[in-house]
Amino acid sequence: MANPEKIFRAGVLSVVKHDYLPRAVAAHPRFELLVVADDGDQPNWVHERNQRFADEFGIPYVPDVPKAIAEHDLDLVVISSEAERHCNLAVRAADAGLHVIADKPMSTRLSECDRLVEAVQRNNIKFLLWNRNYLPALIQAKEAVQSGAIGELYAIHVDFYFSKDAGPPKGARQPGDPPINWLERQIEAHADGSDGGIGIEAMGELQIEGIYPLGYIRMLTDADVRRVFARTATHFHQANVDNHVDDLATVSLELENGIVGSLCIGRIGAASHPDIGEIKIHAIGSKGGIVITEARPEVSIHYRDQPPLEFKNKRIANENDFLLMDDFARALDTGCEPILDARGGRDIAATVFAAVESGKTGQPVEVTH
Amino acid sequence: MSTEALFTEQANDFDAVVIDANPSQAASFAKAATALGKPTLVGQLPGGLDVLDQADALLMPAHTWRFLPSIQAVKRSIDAGKLGEPCLLRIHRWLPPESTTESIAKRILPDTDLACWMFGGAPEKIWTLQSAANPDYIQFHLGFTNDGMAMIDITGSLPADDGYFSLSMIGGTGAAYADDHHNMNLLYSGGQPNALRTNQGRTDLTGQLQEFVNAISEQREAAVTLADTSRAAAVAAQVIESAQTKQVIEGKEYN
Repeated sequence: MANPEKIFRAGVLSVVKHDYLPRAVAAHPRFELLVVADDGDQPNWVHERNQRFADEFGIPYVPDVPKAIAEHDLDLVVISSEAERHCNLAVRAADAGLHVIADKPMSTRLSECDRLVEAVQRNNIKFLLWNRNYLPALIQAKEAVQSGAIGELYAIHVDFYFSKDAGPPKGARQPGDPPINWLERQIEAHADGSDGGIGIEAMGELQIEGIYPLGYIRMLTDADVRRVFARTATHFHQANVDNHVDDLATVSLELENGIVGSLCIGRIGAASHPDIGEIKIHAIGSKGGIVITEARPEVSIHYRDQPPLEFKNKRIANENDFLLMDDFARALDTGCEPILDARGGRDIAATVFAAVESGKTGQPVEVTH
Repeated sequence: MSTEALFTEQANDFDAVVIDANPSQAASFAKAATALGKPTLVGQLPGGLDVLDQADALLMPAHTWRFLPSIQAVKRSIDAGKLGEPCLLRIHRWLPPESTTESIAKRILPDTDLACWMFGGAPEKIWTLQSAANPDYIQFHLGFTNDGMAMIDITGSLPADDGYFSLSMIGGTGAAYADDHHNMNLLYSGGQPNALRTNQGRTDLTGQLQEFVNAISEQREAAVTLADTSRAAAVAAQVIESAQTKQVIEGKEYN
C-alpha cells in the first residue's frame, strides 16, 4: 500500500464543460490542484474558460500540455474538455504515467474508448470515469440488492428523465432560420447553467447522459450488457432536431447471467417535473422488488415569486463528488480499481453506441466487448 | 334461474345486462343479451370475440383499468392537450402470485390496451424479453407512429398480498406520473417503517358503470368498444410472439 498520507498532485487538462470535476478534486484533502493546461491550438473560448478557472484557484494556466506535465510533477490529471477530446487527452496523460479522472461521456467514438483502455492497461495507471454511483439513494440501492433482500436480481429498469430545457423547443425554427449550431448552443447552455454535451459533434441524450443510468445498472448487477433493442426520437428541442440527435430513447437490455432490463432516458423539458427530473430505479428479484428515487433525500422549498426554473425540490446530503474522490484515493493507495474504471466506461459506451445503432436500424444489436 | 330462462322468460323485466361470467361463458352470454337488444357490459373477454362482431345492441367490454382515477387523470391531461403529443409511456406492474393465475396473454392485455388507448392506435414494432429465471416476468417495448414509444414490465412474483403500479406519460410539452411510490404512507410499528399504499377505492367500477349508463341514455357508442378489446388482444398476441420467436414483430393495423 502506498503512503495514505500522500497528497496527490493534480493538473486540469481542459475545463470547458463541467467544472465540478476539478472542484471535487480541489475540495478533497488528499488532492491538490497545481495547474490548468490545454493544447495551444484550441479556440479562444476554450482558453478563456481555462484561464477563468485557473484564476479562480490562483494556479497557472499553461496552453501547452506536455510543458505543464513536465514542469509540475503531477500524479494525475482531471479532464473536462469537449467529449471528442476526452480520450486523446487521457491517452496522452496515461502515456506520461499519470492517473486520469475524466468527465462523461467517455468519447464520441468507441475506437477512442478502446485506445484509452489499452493505454490505461499498458501504463498501469488508474482511470475513473465520473459518475453518480455514490448518490445516497444509489448507496441504499446497492446495499439493498447486495444484502439479498430482494433475492437474486433478474430484472432492472432505470427511468432517467432530466426536466431541463435545451434552447428553443422543437418547432420553434421559423422558415428561413438557419439550423442551430450545436457547439454554439452548447457554449450558450453552459453560460445559463443548463447542461449538455459540449463539443463540435452533436450528441443525443442517450450518448450524453446514458453513462449515469447504465452506470447504476452496471454497479447493481455487476454484469455486462450483451444485447440491446432501442427506439430513439427527437420530441422536445430544436437543437436536437436540427442536429439529428435524440432527446428521448428507450432501450431494452439483455445482460449477462440472464438478467434483463431497460432504460428510458430523455431531456424532457423544464415544465415536466418539479425538480431535476423523474429518475428512478426499479429492480426485481426472486424474493421481491425495490423502487428507488434517485433524488432522495431532498427538501421541498416553495416561496412567493419563486423563479419558474428554480428546482422546487433540492437534493440534500449529496456527497457523491467527495466519495468519488475518496474512491479514487483508495484506488491510488491500494491498487484496487475505482468504482467505474476504463473497462467499465468503455463497456457502457459500447452499450450506448449499440443502442444508437439499434434505434437507427430497428433491430436488436449485440454489444461488443 | 338459468341465464337462458332469464333471457327468455323475464327479458321484459330489465333494460340492460352486466356480465361477470367466466371467460368460457362471457361471450356467449353477451351474444344472447345483445340479440335481445339489451345494452350489455361484459367482463372477462377477450375469449370468443368473433361471435360478438355483429352485436345487435350496445356492447361495452369491461376495461376497468382505464377507469382508475389515476389513469383517468392522465388520459384527461392528454386529451386536453396539456402534455402535447404522447411520446413515452412507461409502466411497471408488479403483481403478487395470487393475481397471476390467468394466462400471460390476459395478464398483459390491460397494459397493451392502455398503450394503444393513449397513443390512439396499435404499435408498429414490438420487442419482448422474458426472464429465464422467472417465467412470470415479461417486458415489452412498443414503437408507435410519430416516434411514440412504450416500455412496460410486468412480473407476477411479488411477495403475496400487495402489488405495485407505476405509469408515467411523457408528452411533448409536459408529463404525468401516476405512481404508487408517490402515494405511500408510513406505518411505524417497530423496526423499519412499512409503506402503506393509499388505494384508489372502487371508483374504477363506478366510473365504468357510469360510462355504460351514459352511453345507453345518450344512445351513443361506449367509450370502450369491442374493437379496443380486439386490438389489445392482438397486440398482446404479438408481444408473446416476439418473446417466443425472439424477433422484432412488425405491428398490424388495428386502429
